[in-house]
Amino acid sequence: MEGLAGRTALVTGAGQGIGRAIARRLAAEGALVLCNDLDPARADAAAAEVGGVSVPFDCADPDAVRRAVAEHQPIDLLVANHAFMTMAPFLEVDPGEWRRMLETNLLGTAWLVSACGPAMAERGYGRIVCIASEWGVTGWPNATAYTATKGGIISLVRSAAHALGPRGVAVNAIAPGVTDTPQLDVDALDAGVSHDEMAAIYARDIPLGRIGRPDDIAAVAVFLCSTAAAALVGQVLMPNGGYVT
Amino acid sequence: MQADVTDAAAVEDAVARAERDLGPVSGCLTAAGVYRRGALGSIAVEDWRSMLAVHLDGTANVCRAVYRRLLLRRNGAIVTIGSELALVGDGDAPHYAAAKGAIHAFTRSLAREAAPHGIRVNCVAPGPTDTPLLKPEYAPPDYVASLVLQRLVRPEEIAAAVRFLLREDTNMVGQVVSPNAGAVI
Repeated sequence: MEGLAGRTALVTGAGQGIGRAIARRLAAEGALVLCNDLDPARADAAAAEVGGVSVPFDCADPDAVRRAVAEHQPIDLLVANHAFMTMAPFLEVDPGEWRRMLETNLLGTAWLVSACGPAMAERGYGRIVCIASEWGVTGWPNATAYTATKGGIISLVRSAAHALGPRGVAVNAIAPGVTDTPQLDVDALDAGVSHDEMAAIYARDIPLGRIGRPDDIAAVAVFLCSTAAAALVGQVLMPNGGYVT
Repeated sequence: MQADVTDAAAVEDAVARAERDLGPVSGCLTAAGVYRRGALGSIAVEDWRSMLAVHLDGTANVCRAVYRRLLLRRNGAIVTIGSELALVGDGDAPHYAAAKGAIHAFTRSLAREAAPHGIRVNCVAPGPTDTPLLKPEYAPPDYVASLVLQRLVRPEEIAAAVRFLLREDTNMVGQVVSPNAGAVI
């Protein structure tokens, strides 16, 4: 990797899981990382760990997104990673949960891309990586709302890639398979098993024999943020151990 | 390390020589390929066969020789070269697109076989890349202008994707990664 010294990266949902690992990797490559989380304490902790800047705000709030992005320009790299997930059978999903998932995951990503993209395009350089989900490609029982928002993110990425690509801004998605993060607890709770049992159940069906690690996803994100990845435009990379190929 | 990839015995011999001279192989890229155009009715049987032989047999021959050795050590990575044209088809080269599509399916299959043994197999499917294989008449200015990036893919951009998949020990397995300048989204 050629290094990311001199670049500024905004990572949303950087407080834990995949986002934390991405913030760590980007910082290790030399980028200044703006660590966002809904929870200010988590954003602070991430920023302290990676030597970055704590930027807590709610990605579902378009004004908050616009303000934070304007305050911290220039932003060269955006990793829209934050997400909210609850699980329930399709017919039992509470309308409030539907809205919160749509507003946080899909619209939050849209606000971020809209806020960061134009300034990147004006400078003629930018990388946008949106974290979708394998389930956004395949669908998943008991995760209808979540998967719909992640499928939406994939479409958003493809369209935004057309709009921003000609101006030097590569927009791509990562659709991770099941990954070992606190979000797996939501799933374990739904299935009535422990975190480790849930991980083992998923691993049985994955050719690689294990679920993803946050560092796996971080490596893919850092690659997509590199200058040499410029020819990847509107693509969906799926680090999933071979579960969906 | 000269060898015709369509000759399985020659490939096996070349890989054996490479290991003897340089030590254990840990990564492999199968990039040998040819591109020819022709409407289905005009492609001679021998052209059809050689197109499949170079791409499908060639990829399988090299993978067989290397994979056997990676298995002994339960470690390593293989990257094959497919094509963006296998994702969407090529109205000017059905044999080429079919051969590349076969590489995609082969890669996904070998990836499933190899992953439990700790060996990662993936495919890079380049878009129109500025190499001698892409004759100027195959990429006229109006075509290049139609790409999202409005330029051809640079060979080093393909190299970067290959390098990432070979060197980074992630859970990317059986994936087709397409640096294609926006030719196929």
